[in-house]
Formats: sequence, C-alpha cells, structure tokens
Amino acid sequence: MVPLIELVFGGIMIGGLYALVAAAVVIVYKSTHVVSIAHGQLLAFGALFFHFFIVDLALSPVIGLVLALICSAIMSILIERFTLRPLIGQPLFTAFMMTFALFIALDGVFQMILKGRVRPYPSLFSQATIELGSITIPKIQLLSFFATIIIFFGLALLFKYTGTGLSMRAAAEGHQLAQSAGVSVRKVFSVVWAVSAIVAAVVGIATAFVMDISYPLPYIGIKGIIVALCGGLDSLSGAFIIGILLGVTEQLGAGYLDPIVGGGLEDVTGYVMLLIIMLIRPYGLFGLVRIERI
Amino acid sequence: MRPCGVADETYEKDMAIVRTWQHWTILLCTLAVLYTFPLYGSYYFISLINYLSRVIIIVLGLQLVSGHCGQISFGQVAFMAVGAYGSAIFTTTLDIPFLLALPLSGLLAGTIGIIGGAPSLRIKGFYLSIATLAIHFVLMWLILHVEFLGANRGLTCPPAKIGPLVFDTEEKMYYLFVTVMLIMTFGAKNIERSHVGRAFVAIRDNDLAAEVMGINLFYYKLLAFFISCFYAGVAGSLMAHQNLVIHPDQFTLLTAIEYVGMIIVGGMGSIPGVFFGVIFIVGLNELVMTFTPLLAGWFPLLGAGFTASIGVIVFGAVVALFLLFEPYGVAHRWEIFKTSYRLYPFARSG
Repeated sequence: MVPLIELVFGGIMIGGLYALVAAAVVIVYKSTHVVSIAHGQLLAFGALFFHFFIVDLALSPVIGLVLALICSAIMSILIERFTLRPLIGQPLFTAFMMTFALFIALDGVFQMILKGRVRPYPSLFSQATIELGSITIPKIQLLSFFATIIIFFGLALLFKYTGTGLSMRAAAEGHQLAQSAGVSVRKVFSVVWAVSAIVAAVVGIATAFVMDISYPLPYIGIKGIIVALCGGLDSLSGAFIIGILLGVTEQLGAGYLDPIVGGGLEDVTGYVMLLIIMLIRPYGLFGLVRIERI
Repeated sequence: MRPCGVADETYEKDMAIVRTWQHWTILLCTLAVLYTFPLYGSYYFISLINYLSRVIIIVLGLQLVSGHCGQISFGQVAFMAVGAYGSAIFTTTLDIPFLLALPLSGLLAGTIGIIGGAPSLRIKGFYLSIATLAIHFVLMWLILHVEFLGANRGLTCPPAKIGPLVFDTEEKMYYLFVTVMLIMTFGAKNIERSHVGRAFVAIRDNDLAAEVMGINLFYYKLLAFFISCFYAGVAGSLMAHQNLVIHPDQFTLLTAIEYVGMIIVGGMGSIPGVFFGVIFIVGLNELVMTFTPLLAGWFPLLGAGFTASIGVIVFGAVVALFLLFEPYGVAHRWEIFKTSYRLYPFARSG
C-alpha cells in the first residue's frame, strides 16, 4: 500500500493540472458565457504540436514550446471565428452543443493522426526524483505544478490589472454594454480563446510527459469541465481549489478503495463528486448564484 | 397536412392524427410495404431497418425529455444498458416470458431514470447535461463492477420468444422490431399532443413561468425522465435479444452524443423530426462506411486510421453545420413544405 502522504502529494500534483484545464474553461465562460467541451481537444492538439516540433522537426524544446503554443492559439482563434462567433445571439445551449460537435469532430482528427498508436514523448527530463523526507516526487511533476501556480497567478493578474483583463470583465458583464463603451467584443473573444488555448496546451504538454500522447488524452478536458462546474463556472480560485481537491480525492480513492471495489474508481470519483455538489450547490461551491427573472 | 381550402369542422377532426382519406391511403400503403418488406427485401436492408427501429425508439424517448421538456440528457445509453441487462436477467435467471420482460425492463430503466432525473429539479441547462453525463459514467461503472451483472464478461441472453414464435433471425425480428417501433411512435405522438406534452413544452420554454401557471415541475420533470428512460429500456431489451450477448463496451458515451446529434439534426421537439434525424445520421454513417474504404484504396497515404475515424469527423461536422445553418433541423424544412402546400396556389415561392 502506498503511504498516505505520497498519495496526497501525487493528488496535489495531478490536481494542479485539472485545475489548469478548469481555468481554461473558466476564462472562456467568464467573458463569453460559453461552456466549452472542446478544450479537451485543444489540449491534445497542443501536445501533438509540441511533439511535431521537437521530435519531427528536431527543434530545441524552448522554441518548440513557443511554436506549439502559438499554433494552439491560432487553431483556437479559428475555431472561435468560424464556429462560435456565428452563434452569438443564439441560445447558449446551441453554443454548448457546438463545442460538443467540435469535440467529436476533432477527436476523429486526433485519432486519425494517432493511427491507434501511442506517441511516446521524448524524455527531456531524466526520471530524476526529489526526496522530501519520506516521499519521492518525480521532478517533472514538481515542475508542472510550479508552472500551474505561475500560470494561475498570471491569469489572476491579467484579469485584475491589465487593460485587456478589464475589457474581458466588461464583456462578461454584457456584450452590448461593453460594445457601447468602446470595448471590441470580437477582439476580446479572440484574445480569450487564444489565452485559454495556450493554458490548455500547457496542460496537454505537461500531461503528455507523464502519459505520452494516447487515445484518452482529450478526455482530461472533461475532467476540467467537472472541476469548473464544481468550483463554479466563473471562479478562478474555485477551479484551483476544486482541481486540487479532485486530484487528492481520486488518488485516495484509488489507493484505499480500489482493492475493495475492484479498480477503476479513479474514473468515476469526479462524476460522483459533481453529482453531490450539484445537488447541494447548483452553481458550484464558489460560483456566483444567478437570480433569474421570468 | 391538408390542401388549401380544407378546414376542420369538428373537434374530432381537429384532433385527428390522420386527417384525410389521402393520408389513410398513404398510411395503409406504407404499413403494407413495411410489413411485406422481408418477403422481397435484401438482408442488408432488413437488418438496417431493424437497427433503425431500435434507434428510433430510443431517440423518441430522448426527444420527449430533451426536445419537448428541454432537459438535454446524455444518459440515454446508460439507461438502454439498464434495460438490456434487466431484460437479460428477467428472461434467464427469473424465467419471465419475453412479452412481459419487454415492458418490465422498460419500467426498470424508467424507475432508475427517475433517480437519474432527480438533479433536474435543482439544475438546468448545461449543468444538467454534464450531470447526466456523470450519471452515464457512474451507471456504466456500476454495471462493469457488479459481479451479479457479469462484470467484464458480459451476459448472454436467449432470443426473444412469444408463445411458439422464436425471433432468432433478422427476418423474424423485423416484425417484432417494426411493431414495437410503431406502437412506441403512436405512444409518443399521443404524449406529445396530450396535456402532458403541453406541460413539457411549457417547462422547456420557461420553467418558472410554467410553475406559476400551475404545472407541477417536480412531477412533470420526473415524468419526462421516466418516459424517456422507459423508451430507452425497451430499446435496450430489444437490443439484448438481438445481439444475444451484452457487454458494457457496447454502451459508449459516443453513442449517447450521437443520439443527441440526431435530435438536433432532425429538429428539437418534433416527432417526425426523430425519423428525419435518425434516418439522416444512420444513412450518412452507412454512406461513409461504404465509400471510405474506396477512398482509402485510392489514396493509400491516408492509412488505416482514416477509415476508422472519418465517420466521427463527418458526424461532428454535420451537427456543427446544422447548428450553424439550420438550428431547427430537417423538421423545420418539413413544416415549411407543409405550410406552402397548404397555401399552394396563393403562396409565392421563395
């Protein structure tokens, strides 16, 4: 049996990645009010782009990373421009179904590129581990966790202090209001989708270092949606807290309950958590409660 | 659908499903063709119609809960699995005759569906959709891990049997499937035009306003889930007796999304829309299945992955295009056609 503290630490590391996917979903929701399932695919394609640049073209990792992020951002802007912008003014649910359709179509493309095989990631970082007292943590996990924290701070600062962030928040309040106050809502949407695609691509690359590029990679996006819903769709801090919580719960469930129930608990922990939280607080633990009018 | 100048004179006429003698002729001819089809149809089309009937039953249920009542559900496939497993256990372990096991498995799926629909009382919109998605995964996980349900090995199921009749070939099953499909369609049509259907539509359009008007949200939302899961359960039971082996891998999330795609393509909130959507998507899949091996043969560069994933890409693209250009689905075109027929000599084209 794996000791408790190691499970908790492993959970925190994985949870950081979930939190980051959720953050990508949350920033899109905050300014466009679209819940996007398609981020799972943006994440997978980010990992594919990185693989393409550093393995097939043999570029240096830093240039490869920058190029991969740029490619994901462009792809995301194109998605927003050609599929979601025409739906402005339609019911929000239409946009939600559109991201579902995109997820399915891109999943087909992704599987087509993979051809049923696993693409191993280059071992840029040796399998080095760090000893912290009694527990050992792989270096790559620690690195991606720090990246997570930095990105979260970056996003928070972006929303709070920059002009772009201000216009994003304005667009979230109301598209027409923002437009009449001189904020270009179209530009905001493009920027938001680009930023969220970059965040998603970082998650994809970090995850691929651990599990390579394989068939289930896009489905981490669905975990991100769960975290975003549980934390409240408009709350970045909620995404962070719930992401880590989900990571830890999954690891603990897998560590302690799997031998009893016979495995696979890791896959459903998130869904059970979602159902419970939705019944108690329909708008997520940290979400804004909306007051409706008839 | 009536020609110009024909009006309803009595209440019965206004409520009739089949309105004119032309309708009766078309209906009876269609039924005659449908029921004599196995005598001259090819095996391919017979099994295709079997598959279509099963999908139509399940999508009818989805249409009632999602199209009419507005609660988009991705859990339909999991409830189909409940029906399939229920039917397998009813007919083998409990030795209940098939004719009884069919509605019983529907009731079982419906009862579990009420539990699955419970979140709809608190949440709506995409929150509810994701919750039903969660229900799908939790249910499938349970089925995969309960020893009693065959766990990872699946269950075997005998062919359907009514009295001395054994439905063990596609041709024999055809009659069973088509009959059940017609009964279920008639049922759905009647639910749609009764007070229950109107309550569903009121809830879809604005649930708070519906509640103010005296519609019991608690009762009608759960009723919608019960009915839709009943349909899923019946379809699942038919599937179990058709495939003879059921395994959790047959019930994927992708299928559930495909069903939702079918009602989007067909038209939300329309019973004919179910037929349009199912035939459109299944037909498209069949076309893709026929033509991609040819394409892959011409362009070997595309590789083996091409044929496997092109169907998914086409499906996603078609749903996306429908959302962009015809969000009301094929049924909307059908309504336009009907109206222009009704106004025929007086309507301007275009």
